[in-house]
Amino acid sequence: MRRPREVRPQVARRFRSAAPGGRTVYLVHPGALAATVYEGLAETLPNGAGLTVLDLGAVPEYADAALTGGRAATTVEALADRLLAAMEPADGVRTLAGWSFGGVLALAMVRAMPAALRPERLVLLDSIAPTEEYKQPDDALEPGLLLGWFAMYLGAKRGRAVDLAPDALAGCDADGGLTVVLDAAVAAGALLPDTPLPGLRKLYDTYVDGLLRNNRLTAPHRPEPAPLPLVLVKAERSLIPGDATLGWPPLAPHGLTLHTCPGDHYTMLGRSDSLDVIAPLLHTS
Amino acid sequence: MAVVTALEAEQWLIEKIAHRLGVATDEVSREVYFDELDLDSTEALILAGELENWLGFELSTTTLWYHPTVKELASYLAEESTHRATAA
Repeated sequence: MRRPREVRPQVARRFRSAAPGGRTVYLVHPGALAATVYEGLAETLPNGAGLTVLDLGAVPEYADAALTGGRAATTVEALADRLLAAMEPADGVRTLAGWSFGGVLALAMVRAMPAALRPERLVLLDSIAPTEEYKQPDDALEPGLLLGWFAMYLGAKRGRAVDLAPDALAGCDADGGLTVVLDAAVAAGALLPDTPLPGLRKLYDTYVDGLLRNNRLTAPHRPEPAPLPLVLVKAERSLIPGDATLGWPPLAPHGLTLHTCPGDHYTMLGRSDSLDVIAPLLHTS
Repeated sequence: MAVVTALEAEQWLIEKIAHRLGVATDEVSREVYFDELDLDSTEALILAGELENWLGFELSTTTLWYHPTVKELASYLAEESTHRATAA
């Protein structure tokens, strides 16, 4: 057997270099979507600004856990240290941001940084706070909830929104709900018409294992309050639509500013109208 | 559970990949790496699920990683299929 190809990307992926003395945005990306989703953000940032994505897809102990049952042999703190080590030495102004679970890691990175190197603020992109009130046991993640998120994810992956009626997944188990998602995805052109249900089931199981991995990493994590102001950008179709703060106030003794952008949890990273909201928040001092 | 030969597995894989890519079967090389085909991760996982259904046993999601061409994967599948049929 030939050895597997080494196609794993670098942890720190520079999408654009900052001009000398310019601001570099470091954005923690926990996978699910390819890191190339940030190409649009790199183009939307003002001239002179840089963008480096810290891609957890390049950290084997994290990324491979979604393919092997959803249990990562690491911790939030260890991952934060790994990402900090991947950052370049500070040579200009920096903004730190994190999308989704990346926000949890970004906060842990801030706590682990020497005070002199900390950015002025932390920008959280539709990230749920790792507080006790917002942690959920695995079995609280019911199929109806997960399938709705999965449809959102699938639509973002394929560039075609997979719209479901509000109660389409009510009371569905995973198999029944996947049939509903499959029909909607085929109708939207997100999947080929003859996509088999077992194939979609494999994709769904891997997606859920990625969520469970993050849930299990968050469970034992005990975050300290942020030593800097927090900025939360929530998607209009967030993972928790009815919750304005996603649980961050107890971790924000230096202030929490709230913003909303168009799109859902996934499409917020690529839509130009959403990036028009996000880019200034990443760049403004 | 039927035993699958390497040739049958190769033919199955090439047909499915060609269909998903919208190309003729003779355009899918048995030796090209999966990641060199225009098959994204979504399609690859869907293919893996369809493959499990055809074979009648579960595959690790990393199988395509460790057997990264049609030829190598087909060979592994034939071996695994024989092993499981013998053990059953």
